[in-house]
Amino acid sequence: VTPSPVFLPLRELAELVRTRRVSPVALAEAFLERLETFGPRYNAVVTVTRERALAEARRAEAEIAAGGWRGRLHGIPYGAKDLFATAGGIPTTWGAAPLRGQTFDFDATVIRRLGAAGAVLAGKLAMVELAGGAGYRQPRASFTGPGRSPWGEDAWSGGSSSGSASAVAAGLVPFALGSETWGSIVSPAANCGVTGLRPTFGRVSRHGAMTLSWSLDKVGPLGLAADDCGLVLEAIAGPDPLDPSAADRAFRYEAEDPPGRRFRFGVLRAAAEVADADVRLRFEEALEVLRGIGTVQDVALPALPYEAIARTILFAEAASALEGLVEGGMLAELTAPEDRYALYARDAILAKDYIKALRLRGVVAREIDGILAGLDALVAPGRFTVASRLDEPFRSAFGGTALDPAGAIGNAAGLPAVAVPNGFGERRLPTSLQFVGRAFGENTILAAARAYQARTDWHRRHPEVG
Amino acid sequence: VSEPPASETELLFALVRARYGSRLGPEELEAVRLGVAAVVESARALRALRLENADAPLPPLPVGVPPRP
Repeated sequence: VTPSPVFLPLRELAELVRTRRVSPVALAEAFLERLETFGPRYNAVVTVTRERALAEARRAEAEIAAGGWRGRLHGIPYGAKDLFATAGGIPTTWGAAPLRGQTFDFDATVIRRLGAAGAVLAGKLAMVELAGGAGYRQPRASFTGPGRSPWGEDAWSGGSSSGSASAVAAGLVPFALGSETWGSIVSPAANCGVTGLRPTFGRVSRHGAMTLSWSLDKVGPLGLAADDCGLVLEAIAGPDPLDPSAADRAFRYEAEDPPGRRFRFGVLRAAAEVADADVRLRFEEALEVLRGIGTVQDVALPALPYEAIARTILFAEAASALEGLVEGGMLAELTAPEDRYALYARDAILAKDYIKALRLRGVVAREIDGILAGLDALVAPGRFTVASRLDEPFRSAFGGTALDPAGAIGNAAGLPAVAVPNGFGERRLPTSLQFVGRAFGENTILAAARAYQARTDWHRRHPEVG
Repeated sequence: VSEPPASETELLFALVRARYGSRLGPEELEAVRLGVAAVVESARALRALRLENADAPLPPLPVGVPPRP
């Protein structure tokens, strides 16, 4: 009997492919059909890349049959957020109506690297328009419709890597690529009950990805479990002459832990205190699990305006990165009404204040690294609420006073984080736990997340689809 | 040097309105004004902190010649 490939851990799926119990072409067909059938239900897909997927799957099948198995991603389908350039006439829309017809004549580095690992691009996945950089304040901010979490009819899938998270959660692809400037991997992973890895700034090349903020943008995977994310990160990480921000450091995923490994966790109470009661409850339960695999201690943060620092950098850089769209009058064609004008206010950011934010970022990086030097990870809720309703404005003031110290610190300082599901809260929607690590400490936080997932089964629970 | 936040907001909003006001209706202009107020609020939080002369910016990109897009 051929096992169903849906919701299988990458490692198991890879073994089926390697041993030729599952054919890459059959695998591609199965996930293409799921993308085409269920993708529209969640507004998760922009383009199903059927032709390219089948060509890549046939090539993988022939290579594996000839004894040329390349590794665990060979013949495995995946989806990519629709801000990664793809050649061959496949549109790359950045989630924005005025860019529906945008194409590139090259593949983004991460797409090329996954291709070199033998992975099969099955679809370009939906996202918040312009990666949320225009200032959206509610879920209806994509020309493909509001992303829906497979866990609730009326639940937003999160942003801006909306389709990447919902497609993984619904079993439409085994893994997906997303990107994060501030929250765009961790938040949708939380809303959709999947695992999302935000790598260290510079760990993964951004060549061919839409720029929102040169000093904050990161590219990372979303999968069912931490181990899946580690396997994908190994394939996409590393230096790239086409991206000067990509660090000159190789990454080898360390999936094996010494037996009984113990961790040192620091609790970001400031992040937990702003969370809703149901999220706090799940977080406290998660801390109990973590006490079984290590020490758990509260950590005090220096009093710094973390959100203001991250917001000023993001807004100033986005105003410049999106200047062409602003001056070209394209904002008027965006889907969310607020996205048609919110960017204008960012002309008011003064150069001295932007530089001050960059200087303060240095202070944040130094202070947090000092705290992390004695720990393996900081832990905090992945998101302070469960998923918003589709017609509900976000709970933050205009211009963004997001209650997200963990996200502000992690993104401003360029630190890696992995978000894992840790239960269910209001409306039976997923909640999330994040592990924030030291710069280039992905192996440590992935090990901690794996240890947590070895003691819980939240990542093995899946929504009813179909 | 510190003017009241409202006054700084109005001065900066006047600049934004001069640039883009022709594209915006009254409600949108008011929303942009609130956006400018949020920018000023963030800036004031940053300005309230004193740094050492040696506290350098953590720069956006490493030094080097960027490749052509």
